[in-house]
Amino acid sequence: MASTKPPAGQFNMLYFAAASTYAKKQSEHLKAPLPVSELFDTLEQLYPGIKEKVLSSCMLTVNLGYVDLDDAAGIKIKEGDEVAIIPPVSSG
Amino acid sequence: MPDDLAATYLDEENIHVELTDSLLDINAILNRVKSPKAGAIVLFAGTTRDTFDSKPVKQLQYSSYPPLALNTLLTIAKEIKNKHSLTAIAMVHRLGVVPISEESILIAVSSPHRQAAWKAGEEALEACKERAEIWKLEEFDGPDGGVWRANRDGQSGVELAQRRAE
Repeated sequence: MASTKPPAGQFNMLYFAAASTYAKKQSEHLKAPLPVSELFDTLEQLYPGIKEKVLSSCMLTVNLGYVDLDDAAGIKIKEGDEVAIIPPVSSG
Repeated sequence: MPDDLAATYLDEENIHVELTDSLLDINAILNRVKSPKAGAIVLFAGTTRDTFDSKPVKQLQYSSYPPLALNTLLTIAKEIKNKHSLTAIAMVHRLGVVPISEESILIAVSSPHRQAAWKAGEEALEACKERAEIWKLEEFDGPDGGVWRANRDGQSGVELAQRRAE
């Protein structure tokens, strides 16, 4: 993984496939805490257009567990967490 | 492709799942599932094709989120092994550049009788294609550049050339 341990007050944001192409990077550190419900807007500010073109078809994991975006009220991303954008998969 | 990944795997009793950037070894995976209790082994080898929608594909490249993909592959392997009472199951996916006509995935299952093995092999592959956190980038000759494929809809995903232009 190209990611490194995030410094204090930040979390690790990972991008894969179409998300990494759009963000032009595989990972970065973002400021924590951050409510899950605000994550996509935060990414939209960093990468205008990413919400509609990429994120709308993606899933989200926090510390290797999937988070239901329709039921994320109150869930906060904490310092040191590993968050990942998971585009539609294509193994085989 | 993570830079520090050579091969990474998870093992449980009679289950092996692995991601590797090396050439896949058919004999090795057969040996993993071979057993005196099993009268049948079914092996699926997925190889990379040189065209998509009649467009020539120059090369394919797979990337992954290894810790999550391994968890998912292990979950799939357990489900399929229990459902079909398999003797053993092994699933290995290659990452990085896979030259055309080389194997990108091997799935081997063994069971006392062939019927369960045939079914289990197919179900394991379909579940992997649907759920494993692995992504295929098809690179074409010419101006189209490359696209991230999505198994879900069989359509091409994000076109790299288009993205770069934005």
